[in-house]
Amino acid sequence: MKLRTALMGAVAVLGLAPAAFAERGADGEVKLTFPQAVSIMNPYLSGGTKDIYASSMVLEPLAGLDPEGVLIPKLVTEIPTLENGGVSEDRTSITWKLLPDLKWSDGTPVTAEDAVFTWQYCTHPEGGCSQATKFEGVASVEALDASTIKVTFDGPKANPYTAFVSALSPVLQKSQFESCLGAAAPTCTDANNMPIGTGPFMVTGFAVNDTVSLAANPNYRDPAKPAFATAVIKGGGDAEGSARAVMETGEFDYAWNTQIPPDSQAAMAAAGKGQFVVAFGTLVERLETNTTDPDPALPEGERSTAKHPHPILSDIRVRTALSKAIDRSILVEVGYGAGGKPTCNVIPGPEGWASDNDGCIAQDMEGAKALLDEAGWIDTNGDGVRDKDGKKLKLLYQTTVNPIRQDFQALIKDWWTELGVEVELKAIDPGVFFGGDPGSPDTFQKFYADIEMYANNSESPDPESYLGQYQCKNAPTPETQWQGENINRFCNPEYDALYATLATTTDIAERQAIAKKLNDMVTKDSMIVIPLVHRGTLSAHSLALGGVQINAWDTEMWNVADWFRVK
Amino acid sequence: MLDAGPAPLVQVQDLKMHFPIYTGLFRRHTGDVKAVDGVSFQIQAGQTLGLVGESGCGKSTVGRTMLRLYEPTAGRVIIDGDDVASLPPEALRKKRPSMQMVFQDPQASLNPRMTLADIVSEPLHEHTDWTRAQKLERVYELMDQVGLNRRFVNRFPHEFSGGQRQRIGIARALALKPRFIVCDEPIAALDVSIQAQVVNLLEDLQEKLGLTYLFISHDLSMVRHLAQRVAVMYLGRIAELSPSTDLYSRPLHPYAEALLSAVNEPDPELALRRKRIILKGDVPSPANPPKGCNFCTRCPKVMDICKTVKPDLVEVEPGRMVACHLYTAAGSTGASEAPERKNQERNQQGENR
Amino acid sequence: MLTFTLRRLLLAIPTLLVISLVIFLLVDLAPGSPMSEIPLTVPPDVRQKMIEALGADQPVFVRYFLWLRQFFWVEPAYVIDHWFGTSLAAGEQRILSWQSRSPVFTIIGQRLPQTLTVIGTAYLVGILIALPIGIYSAYRQYSLFDQGGTLFAMIGFSVPTFFSGTLFIIIFAVWLGWFPTKYDTQLVVNDWESFVKQVKQMALPVMTLGLANAAAISRYMRSSMLDNMTMDYVRTARAKGMSERTVVLKHVLRNSLIPVVTVIALGIPSIFGGAIITENLFGVNGIGAALIGAIRASDLPMVQTLAFIFAVLIVLFNLIADILYGLLDPRIRYD
Repeated sequence: MKLRTALMGAVAVLGLAPAAFAERGADGEVKLTFPQAVSIMNPYLSGGTKDIYASSMVLEPLAGLDPEGVLIPKLVTEIPTLENGGVSEDRTSITWKLLPDLKWSDGTPVTAEDAVFTWQYCTHPEGGCSQATKFEGVASVEALDASTIKVTFDGPKANPYTAFVSALSPVLQKSQFESCLGAAAPTCTDANNMPIGTGPFMVTGFAVNDTVSLAANPNYRDPAKPAFATAVIKGGGDAEGSARAVMETGEFDYAWNTQIPPDSQAAMAAAGKGQFVVAFGTLVERLETNTTDPDPALPEGERSTAKHPHPILSDIRVRTALSKAIDRSILVEVGYGAGGKPTCNVIPGPEGWASDNDGCIAQDMEGAKALLDEAGWIDTNGDGVRDKDGKKLKLLYQTTVNPIRQDFQALIKDWWTELGVEVELKAIDPGVFFGGDPGSPDTFQKFYADIEMYANNSESPDPESYLGQYQCKNAPTPETQWQGENINRFCNPEYDALYATLATTTDIAERQAIAKKLNDMVTKDSMIVIPLVHRGTLSAHSLALGGVQINAWDTEMWNVADWFRVK
Repeated sequence: MLDAGPAPLVQVQDLKMHFPIYTGLFRRHTGDVKAVDGVSFQIQAGQTLGLVGESGCGKSTVGRTMLRLYEPTAGRVIIDGDDVASLPPEALRKKRPSMQMVFQDPQASLNPRMTLADIVSEPLHEHTDWTRAQKLERVYELMDQVGLNRRFVNRFPHEFSGGQRQRIGIARALALKPRFIVCDEPIAALDVSIQAQVVNLLEDLQEKLGLTYLFISHDLSMVRHLAQRVAVMYLGRIAELSPSTDLYSRPLHPYAEALLSAVNEPDPELALRRKRIILKGDVPSPANPPKGCNFCTRCPKVMDICKTVKPDLVEVEPGRMVACHLYTAAGSTGASEAPERKNQERNQQGENR
Repeated sequence: MLTFTLRRLLLAIPTLLVISLVIFLLVDLAPGSPMSEIPLTVPPDVRQKMIEALGADQPVFVRYFLWLRQFFWVEPAYVIDHWFGTSLAAGEQRILSWQSRSPVFTIIGQRLPQTLTVIGTAYLVGILIALPIGIYSAYRQYSLFDQGGTLFAMIGFSVPTFFSGTLFIIIFAVWLGWFPTKYDTQLVVNDWESFVKQVKQMALPVMTLGLANAAAISRYMRSSMLDNMTMDYVRTARAKGMSERTVVLKHVLRNSLIPVVTVIALGIPSIFGGAIITENLFGVNGIGAALIGAIRASDLPMVQTLAFIFAVLIVLFNLIADILYGLLDPRIRYD
């Protein structure tokens, strides 16, 4: 948090400076490096953050989000609201007004037709659009006139700012992508790699999974921006190498996603060439408890399903004891340093949406032991492991192969062993764990374990869809090919009912209150989810690069037009 | 020993070749293989000295060390007036044309990637400044001399038969007109039918070119045919050095006796009467030879003195030299104090036998 | 020799077909999904749509035969069209990478130059370092130089490139600041300045890989030299009165090079294969980095095509090594 405050101060001072002498292209080249190389510049065909961030320098949505999670206009004159009449009274439509004289980088005018086409492009049944959720509930997108776009929903929409908002949902140029609808989408290699956009930069060269070369867009709406004439995004290597290239050798100006061990962070910062900045979004490293029985003795198809409640974890006292035994501050210190904070919430931000729940932060080993005693789990035979009715308190705890996660596993195992719980650890290849292959026993959805650990986040500051995961109907089952986001198989009619009211509540304060309540229902009230660490995205930028404002709610390059060279 | 006649072309004096043994983690020098341990002999110009002995006795090492293919540990090798054992490298290289060697394995001793012409003419590049044509002419001349068809000039060694290869080896050795040639078992790897051809070739060449040979072999009958004098080696030392006729008719050293008893006797009557001497036991390791006479562990006529004192090679009959206590000490205790040079006494006790 | 070569080439066809099937099945059966890199925020039904759009839900044999057709018919057709302006391919679908939606061969075309430049130079540098070390080590066996050479080879063999590479980065880039740590694949060499830049950016990866390559080849060279050093024909050469230089360089070295040259030829496919770890470490982003990236993303068409090309190269260079052996050693005849 300190880092971020310091940065804000720096930006506030520096941010005023460039306006006086700004001139497009005066500052030469800005060099960015990503540990994962950019595969494609079309965010609709990729879900990878690397691709979305890179394309955000070229393609722009109608509106974006600033570091506080507040909507800001990009291609439009203002953010439509109920007050200004942009959002209809019944909340079934939203009307955007494009900026006058807006041009694509090829000089042709941007029209409402482009937005309409973008909607058609992403919702085509054969297109495999990865951002289809952005257009969920959208009944139609119309061009009222050349610069007016009307998005109509199939019902009242509490949060109408989904389509064409944030870097996940930019506007494509119709003339470029016209022949790329549906099944033809992947075959339009040139368009996918070098899309024409409205952003401050345009693509001049694209080497797949390697380098994106960009140049200032001559038709960018602000004639004084961007300050840089060219930009390069070099991909590949690892977080350590990217961080080093900015912090120690000074070869690059900006490195995204430099998640490295805390001691390396300190060593690199000491070199004095750059600084780390952290974007805290909603990413939470958590333990998910399984409410169903993963016993291998159960017949296939019944294992880890609601048919058999978990013999140990169904007791809230056990779940609470497991949470109490953990010292989250140590986890942060070991794993993330400045890039993490202890948390008890699944919705840790933005402010206003996050519950004030912090009861889990302090470790309480004695309280945890008392809870287990109370629940009837007592070590009767003196072997150090608690038991009840002849059954041992034994848990299988799985996660992906990842050095930080293995450190976490070891620490948590120690604490739980002290508690009298026998813990078996398992680490799975991330490709398998997140791969979702219904034939594999090791996917996180199948959850053939008692506890599993991973990180998840809400893709927008408004957590509505994110909270929807914990609805009873979203539990993965053999019938759904083990697809579903309710990993815990949490099933609480009260939660589902309250969630249903969220979708129809429009008042922002009310929505926030509901979200907090929902958050508490899966965390402190039930301990179904045991949140551990609120993770930020650690990035690094050179001290010679000014104007950087880290942003967790939209692309980190959201204000790349304002970046400049510190002289 | 030599009071009359021309000076010998080749003189070897107390030649020693010890190969160091390194053992252990740090490869410490822990001992020596005494492959040649004090060998002396001489060869008159135009003559052939046969060097015989069983495998591993050091006879090939003598040949190689004489030509400084190994760096001798001690001793002198005087060939045509120069001590080859101590010549500086460049002078040695200049000296090489006058002393050559024919090797045992004609296949292995020829570079597989060079043609006949290359092999034979290579020394000419190094030691002459002839033109190409001159060199080729010399190659043809040599091929004629050793009886190789001139058409084969551009063939590789593997395209020849064993006998032909040995002819190449001989042609190669002759290229620079040497005076002295070490023939290191030149026929051992050849078929019997070819052996005679090669031996005859060597004899013809000796006659025509006045060559001096050191003929190393374990084939005693072939040596008898070729050599005027023969040295019998056992475990790095010479046991007996005698004129060929004397040695074959009446070997003096017990080892020479045993060795010759193994030779096929063409006369059936003689063969019937002859008694074969079968030696017992193995040859001791040259890294750890017996304290006394090297042959004492296997000698059928071993005496106490043999186990403590090494006998020297002394002339026991005119022209015949033997290293055996049977002929020097004859069991007398008086000789036991003389491991050093004491051959001035000239004991003639060999006649007592 | 010609019939031998033809026979070997003919035999290679069924071998390669079997290899391609085995690779395909292996890659297909390997756990993981092309969706594993997609964030969890993308819901399952969208994922399913994406998989369908990739064609990844088709049965394995349908996909295999499609790949065979694309590899052996469509892709060559595109090449011919490109060269002669014909229209054989008629817009048929090329092999597309699942990860980037770009044609696999376009990606390979983009990546081959830097792999060949960097890995090829490293191989060359490795050979140039290794041969003198190997020769002199053998010539002076057990000398101080030989011990040093052995130590060098041991280090080269046993120190993994991710370690030596990182070490070089810290020494030469961070402390001394001589070389960059990230390779700029877009650099165009057209003048002295850019050439110097290219040499500088190649320095670290070439050093890292060169060390590893030199270690292996110097040992081959040394042992081959030692084998030949004791051969009779070497003694013959000395007896001829040839200078040590001639003996070592002409007689011993030329014969010793035969096995080494074949070892070097057999190593050439690995140049095309790139160096997964080193390329990744220095951002060279050649074929090796492409392969590992594709494996991580379960990008089956990319992995399959690359693996198959490696198989072809390996078979080809085995044949070349055999032919070279025959050419270098007059004793070998294949017919």
